[in-house]
This record gives sequence, structure tokens and C-alpha cells, in this order.
Amino acid sequence: MFHAVARTSEVSDPGKILVEVEEQLVALFHVDGQFYALDDVCTHDGGPLADGELDGCQIICPRHGARFDIKTGAALTMPATFPTQSHEVKIEDGQVYVKLNKT
Amino acid sequence: MPQTETATGFTPETFEAFLASRDEPTWLTEQRRAAFAAFGELPQPHSGMEEWRRTDIRLLRLDKYAPALERPAVDSLPAALLTSGGSTSSIDEDLLDQTAPLVEQLTGVGDTPAETRLALAGQTAALNSHSISSQLIEEHAKQGVIFGSLDQVVTQHPDLVQKYLFTRAGDLRYDRFAALHAAFWSGGTILYVPQGVRIEQPLYIQSSITPGSADFGHTLVVLEEGAEATLLAELSGGEEAGGLHCGGVEIIVGRGAFLRYVNLQNWDNTVWHFAHHKALVEADARLQWTVGALGSKVSKVNQHVALVGPGANAQVNGVMFAEGRQHLDYHTLQHHEAKSCRSDLLYKGGLQDQSRMVWRGMIKVDPGADKTDGYQRNDNLMLSDDARADSIPGLEIEADDVICTHGATTGRVDDEQIFYLQARGLTRNEATRVIVAGFFQQVFDRITIPSVREALGHAIRRRIREYE
Amino acid sequence: MITDTKTDSNFDVSTAEINKYDFRNEEKYIFKARKGLDEQIVHQISDMKSEPDWMRDYRLSSLKIFNQKAMPKWGGAIDLDFQDIYYYIKPSDQQGRSWEDVPEDIKRTFDRLGIPEAEKKFLAGVKAQYESEVVYGSLREDLAKKGVIFTDTDTAVREHPDLVRQYFSTVIPNTDNKFAALNSAVWSGGSFIYVPPGVSIEFPLQAYFRINAENMGQFERTLIVVDEGAQIHYVEGCTAPMYSTESLHSAVVEIIVKKHARCRYTTIQNWANNIYNLVTKRAVAYEDATMEWVDGNLGSKLTMKYPAVYMMEPGARGEILSIAFSSAGQHQDAGAKVVHAAPNTTSQIISKSISKNGGRSSYRGLVKVEDGARKSKSNVVCDALILDPQSRSDTYPYIEIAEQDVTIGHEASVSRIGEEQLFYLMSRGMSEAEASTMIVNGFIEPLVKELPMEYAVEMNRLIELQMEGSVG
Repeated sequence: MFHAVARTSEVSDPGKILVEVEEQLVALFHVDGQFYALDDVCTHDGGPLADGELDGCQIICPRHGARFDIKTGAALTMPATFPTQSHEVKIEDGQVYVKLNKT
Repeated sequence: MPQTETATGFTPETFEAFLASRDEPTWLTEQRRAAFAAFGELPQPHSGMEEWRRTDIRLLRLDKYAPALERPAVDSLPAALLTSGGSTSSIDEDLLDQTAPLVEQLTGVGDTPAETRLALAGQTAALNSHSISSQLIEEHAKQGVIFGSLDQVVTQHPDLVQKYLFTRAGDLRYDRFAALHAAFWSGGTILYVPQGVRIEQPLYIQSSITPGSADFGHTLVVLEEGAEATLLAELSGGEEAGGLHCGGVEIIVGRGAFLRYVNLQNWDNTVWHFAHHKALVEADARLQWTVGALGSKVSKVNQHVALVGPGANAQVNGVMFAEGRQHLDYHTLQHHEAKSCRSDLLYKGGLQDQSRMVWRGMIKVDPGADKTDGYQRNDNLMLSDDARADSIPGLEIEADDVICTHGATTGRVDDEQIFYLQARGLTRNEATRVIVAGFFQQVFDRITIPSVREALGHAIRRRIREYE
Repeated sequence: MITDTKTDSNFDVSTAEINKYDFRNEEKYIFKARKGLDEQIVHQISDMKSEPDWMRDYRLSSLKIFNQKAMPKWGGAIDLDFQDIYYYIKPSDQQGRSWEDVPEDIKRTFDRLGIPEAEKKFLAGVKAQYESEVVYGSLREDLAKKGVIFTDTDTAVREHPDLVRQYFSTVIPNTDNKFAALNSAVWSGGSFIYVPPGVSIEFPLQAYFRINAENMGQFERTLIVVDEGAQIHYVEGCTAPMYSTESLHSAVVEIIVKKHARCRYTTIQNWANNIYNLVTKRAVAYEDATMEWVDGNLGSKLTMKYPAVYMMEPGARGEILSIAFSSAGQHQDAGAKVVHAAPNTTSQIISKSISKNGGRSSYRGLVKVEDGARKSKSNVVCDALILDPQSRSDTYPYIEIAEQDVTIGHEASVSRIGEEQLFYLMSRGMSEAEASTMIVNGFIEPLVKELPMEYAVEMNRLIELQMEGSVG
């Protein structure tokens, strides 16, 4: 089920915000006109990804610098070795919707 | 009666309103004010703090809850109160017949034949942090035993309560939740057993909430020299709409005294649970402390046993079971402050679905605490691929004449055992239940109160899902 | 010339025990950067090494990260003024290919430490680092012909830029922790090793690290790539003289062990008791590869070091053997980390620690099993001995399991020397000190027997020195 989480205009490009979906925290990214959503969890140490820095389509965990692909959640660098969960995003009428992908 | 519309959080205004609603001794009001000030000063716990690294509480909204100002209507008592202690949301239909409510199992009322019922020496009940009832057998009252609502006893025996409340076994500045609790505690129970008095039958405390409400119950237990008692405490309620428990337990087991204490946390899986429990065990005293952690959405609990007199002995038993997206984070501390003490901790955890469990335990031995015998063990049984268990035993030893040991294991249900049991005609689910029961048996064997053992066993068995 | 210095009277007995290494040379340096850390110093180091831009940029970005990162809130107490340290000292203008080429006083240092002797006897290659630079290097010719590269990391950046760029900082990024960032900004020296596919090096390669100057920071950077089916054993030792002020050693060691390859890395750390030894060591092991860390910590004021093995592909294996001995004024915060990131991976950690004369030994470790790393197995055993009431022992193992089908066990115990054992040995005519030493030697036997013979002898001797003067 898709949930409205933000207006597209609320997230700068490039930019990121933290949103709540079904009692879960999700990091929402806006890069090159596209929106992506990941669990707000670094799989290395549980760090909050939305607090990290964006480098293109990579989010850098603020704790130990592990990088994740914001499109897929893939772990790109040490010390992370496991992907973080990515979620479905759709845009309708300037509204961003997120649907949780559950394992 | 969800309170979401009227809840206003824990602001200076609600604090003053809360104080105004109570008629309490000045020292207590001052203590509450100090705690509320600490609540304002202490940082909100966040994942950057080592102790909170594994528990994310960013979704907790304290403003959805409120202090206990008005006594709840009696007709809002949840069905669970006194007759049913368990969430029934996850029970398999075919199991319902085996699933007696937890309180009935603990006390032996309900379907149990009258002759096997566990007779109680007294009981207290609270709803939404308001005392609803309290009873104590006359015989013990005459002996000077005090057992009842802390709200009431603090006005009847202010000196006694003042001597112990947040003085020895409670630290209202430990963290923000400890401060919040000390500022807003209400309802709650005190058990005071005078020197040499032995209470054979258990005393029972039940705390419950209506959906969306908060419980700030405080438990204060003082056993004077040579006293003996058994205390069972159960927390339940909060169906579907969630709730908040911000609790505290202070226990002082005097010289040569013996306390058996069972604390069962069986909230609905939507409730936030924060608690600080501390027991002081004095010279030659014994404490047998059993913790059941079954309920709540998120739990963060500190259980602290301090062995403060030579020859003190503590046995700590933990039974944890998590399902769904439950997150249980229990921190234990066995602090050996005196010589020749013994502590023995065993925590067992079962995890299914996407649940997460953290046990972090520490044995701390102070300089000079020679002849310490400290033990801790944590075993986790993984029933699902998506669950996660963190186990963090720890030792900090500053004396040399000690024996301290810890162990931790994590594993799954053994396929060969399942296969063997299936060959004997059990279904896979039945086989899993048998194996899980076997896993917990080691800790059940240490719990000397049969009704508690059975209640915990039932509660876990009925939670186990069908597996393919 | 070598100037032997007697230990100052204000140093305690434990200092005297390691005085074999406590001699100082007069400072005769080609270049000594001023004290302190800033962009200018980083540029200066990069200039001295005529580095490519990518490395200079990497250093500068690492410095920023270092400045941003908080000090660790756990582990030991670090009381360091980062502006009161020399970050770069160049002792000689060239690296010797033979001992004769090494400047006389430095050569005599390593002679005293027994390096050339050891090289002749049982080593396949040697690197000797003095302050910031490697002053001597050798590799047996047959290995060089097989394509083995064993050089200092600075030379590797110049001579093997593609290899270095491919692997450098991939195992330990500069964002990993504050001290990895510091090393990444000011690193100098260290070993670069590449072992081509299928090449097996029977004799150990050795590196020897020596700090001579006061307030010196040594930041070597080691990168080892063991290609498919290859094998290597690398050994490092380290010493420094005792000064009244602290020095800092902060290394980064990255190891890549490819499919079916095997790497063993042995450390005998015997820094002087005023050195902060804050080191990040990590290996990644791929399919059916084996990584072994053998880590002995005897010296330093504070060591914080947790060698790690990340098992990235099925069948990878990690083994860590750790020993820590801490005496007066010392805190060994040592341990191990294993991360099971793939199915059918196995790991074992054995830790032995001894605390004496008010020393503090802490085991800090991690066992992590990622979701999907089915059939992972890990076993951890930590034993600690406390030899007197003034000493302290801690155990902090972290176990994080996100997979059902695993077998994970951890055991730890802390105790003192059994009186019965002691009485038995004393009834056989041993003094209490002798009996204690024998018991301690037995306690660490599992580690010592993994060392090459020469090191095992040295280790036993060091333990005996540490034990001298201790009563029960």
C-alpha cells in the first residue's frame, strides 16, 4: 500500500528527508528529478542513513562512511557488507508516495 | 478509551496539574520537582549513545500520552484485568482451549481445580496508573507487613517511604526515562516485610492500561532482616491502540532475607515499555528474580542486581520471546560490591518473524570483592530467518580472587530433531513446540514456583507459529 | 652512535623489564617536519614523497574527516595532544638494499634487535622502518622472479600505481574511524605485498617498526593482496625507547585474501610503555580463503586493536588468536572481529589475557552474522588471568546474529592462578615466581605454539621478563 509522505517540492534536489511509513522510518532521496526510498538503517552499525551525506546516487552513513546505492540499497563499500532495504516510490500530482517492500 | 485526543504530554503545565491532583508530603513533591527538572535537562536518548545504540525510539511521541490525572471509570477496566493477562491476538484457533489466561495460570484460578490453586497472601491492582484495589491477609497485616498502593501508603507511612524511595535502589537521574518516571509515578505498590516475618503465600501485583494510556507504576519492596516473601508482578493491556509504560522497581533484600520476585511484562505488542529495576541484596540475603519479557512493541529495560553485603546470593532468570516486529532490549548488571557473593544469571530468548532482541549483560566486580562467584549465560533460539538477536555479555573485574564466567549461544531448531519427532507422529508445529519447550526448560527448571513456570510455558507455546 | 639510557628512577618495575629495547639514538634526520597537524603538514608529506594528485587529495580529505570525527567514547583513556606530535620524520635519504647501505646508527639499532640475524636464518624478506620511512628492504630473489612484490607502500604508490589504486582504502575507508582517518592523512611507510596467483611463500616476510624520536607519531600503512591460491605469512615486530612523554603509533593494515588463498599475519607488539598504539587491521576473505591473525600485545601504554576478518564469499574462514599482557600503567584493549557475510563461513577467536601489577586487559570483540549467511559457524573462547588485586580484566564480546541457520558459541572466564596448581609446583621445589611464570606460560601456550620458533622463544622470554618480580 502506498502512503503519501511528502510533496515533491518539500525535498530539494539533490536532497533527502526522513519520513514515517507504517511506523517505520524511511529515508527519502531526491536526486536528478527522481525519488528513492531506503530503510533509514545502515546495515553495518544501525546508523541513521538520512543523517548522512549524499554523493550523487550514493548515501554515506555518517558513522563509519559505508556507502549505499540509493536506487537499490546495495552496499557499495566497507564496512557495510549487506544491502539496506529499498522501497517503492511513485509520484502523483506533486505528491510522493512510498510503499514498503517487506522481506 | 484511547487518550490520544486529550493527551498533552509531559509539559510543565501537565506536571503542575499532576502535582495539584495529589495530596503528598512536601519531601515527595520536592523529589518529583527535582526529577522533572532532570527530565528537562537530560538528553533525549538517541542511537549515538552507546546504551541506546540498538534501540531506535525516534518514533516515540511522548505527547500522545499524559500523566494519570483522573481515575479511570470502572467500566473501562479491560477484560484482561484479574482474569486475563495475555494478548489473544496471535493465538491459533485450535490452541485456544489450551490457552488459559496468564493471570489464571499464575494464580491457579479459572479452570484449575480448586485444590491446586495458588492461594495469595495479598494482591494489588492498578489501571492506567491508578490503584483500583489492594488486599492483604489480616494475619500478615497484624505482623506489621505493609502491602498496598504506594499512593496510599506514602500518606499513611510517610517516613518509611521517604527512607527508601529513590534513596538506595533508584537513581532518578540515570536517564531521561528514569527522571520522567520519578516525576510522574503513580499507583504502584509497596511491600514492606518486618524483621523475621515470613510470608508463605505469594503476593500478586497487576498493572494494566486501557488502549492508548500510560502506566507509571512504581514498585518498592523492602524485606527487613531474615524476612521472606514471594512477589509476582504482571503488566498487561494496551490492546491494539498501544500505550506507554515508564516504570521503576526498587528492591532491598535485608540481611539474611529471602525474596522470590517474578516480573512478567506481557503488554500488547503495541506498547512502549521503559523500565529501571534495581535490587540491593545485603549480607547473606537471597534473591531469586525471574523476568518474563513477552509483550510490548519496543522495550528498553535495565535490570540491576547489586550484591552489597558479604554472602549475598542472587539468581536471575530471564525468559524472552519476541514475534512480529517486536524489539526487546534488556540490559542486566550483576554488581558484586562485597566479598563472597554469588550471582547466577540465565537469560533465554526465542525469536520469530522479524523480531529483534538485545540482551546486554555485565558482571562488575569491585576492588576487594574477593571470593566472588559470578556467572551469566544467554542462549537464543532463532525461529525465523528475518529475526535478529544481539547478545552482549560482559565482565569488568577489579579483584583477583574471583571466578567469573559467561557463555552465549545462538542457534536454530535442529532439523534432525524435528524429523525425529515427525517420525513419531507429531506435526511440524507440534515438533517445534516440543523443541522450543526443551530450549526453555533449563530456565524453567530454575523457577521454583510451579504456577509461574507453567504460565510462562503456556504463553510461549501459544505464540509459536506454524512452520513449513 | 648508540646512547644507552638508563631507565629513569620514576619509572616503575615494568619499565625495566623491557629495557632491552630501551635505548635511544641521537636524532640525525634528513628531514623533520614541525610539530602539529594541519593541511600544510599534509602537503609537506605529500611533497616529500612526490605523490600523484589522487593520493594528495585522499590525504587532504582524510584530514577533514579526522577533524570532524569524535574521539571514541569507549575503550581506553586517550590523553593526546594532536598538535604536540611530529607527524613526519625522514631518517635517511635512501633505502638500503643491503645492511651496509643503512646509516650506521640505524643499522646498529636493528643489529641489536636481531633483525639481520633473523633474516639470514629464516626470513624470505625484510622491511625495517625507522620513524616514518622504511630504511632497509630485501626480498629473496626467487620470489621476486615469481612476481612477488614486497616493498614499502610509498614505493608501491610510485612503481605499482594501478595495483595500489585498485585496493588501497577499499578494506578500511578513511571514514571508518578517527584513527584510520588520521593514518590516511599522514601515512608513511608500511609494507605493500602482492603475491601472484598460486605462489606460495614458505618462509615469513617480516617488517620491523622502530620509533626512536620523542613525541613521534608513526603511521605506517600496510596493504597485502594475496591472489588466488597464493599463500603468505607476514610477521611484524615493533619497539621504541622509553621517554617521559607519549608517542603515538597508529597504523592501518588492509588485507585482501582471494579465492583459495591463505594469509597469516603475526604481530608481536612490544612498544615502550608510553606509546599509544591505536591500530585498525582488517582483512577481507573470499571464496574458501583463510585469514589468520596472530596478535600478541605486550607493550604500549594503551593499545586499541581489534583485527578483523570479513568473510565475503562462501567457504571463507577467519581465525584470530589474541594474547594481551598488561602490567603497571598499561591498558591492553585488544580483541577481534569476525563478520560472516556469506554462507558456510567459519570463524574462531581465541583470546588469552593476563593482568598484573595494576595493569588492565580488556577483550573487545564482535561476531556478526549477516542475513543469508546460512550455515555460519563461529566459536569464541576468552580466558583471562588476574595475578593480583590491583589489576583489572574486562570482557566485552558483541554477538549480532541476523540469520537462523547458524551455530554460534561464546565462552569466557576470568580467574586467578589456582592455588592448588601453585602449591603443587612449589612442592616440587619451585619458587612462587617460577611457578607463576610456568603457569602463565602454560596459559598462553595455544598462542605461542602458533608462532615461528624464533618468535616463540622471544615470546616466552618476554613473558618471563614481564613476570619478573611478580608475586603470585
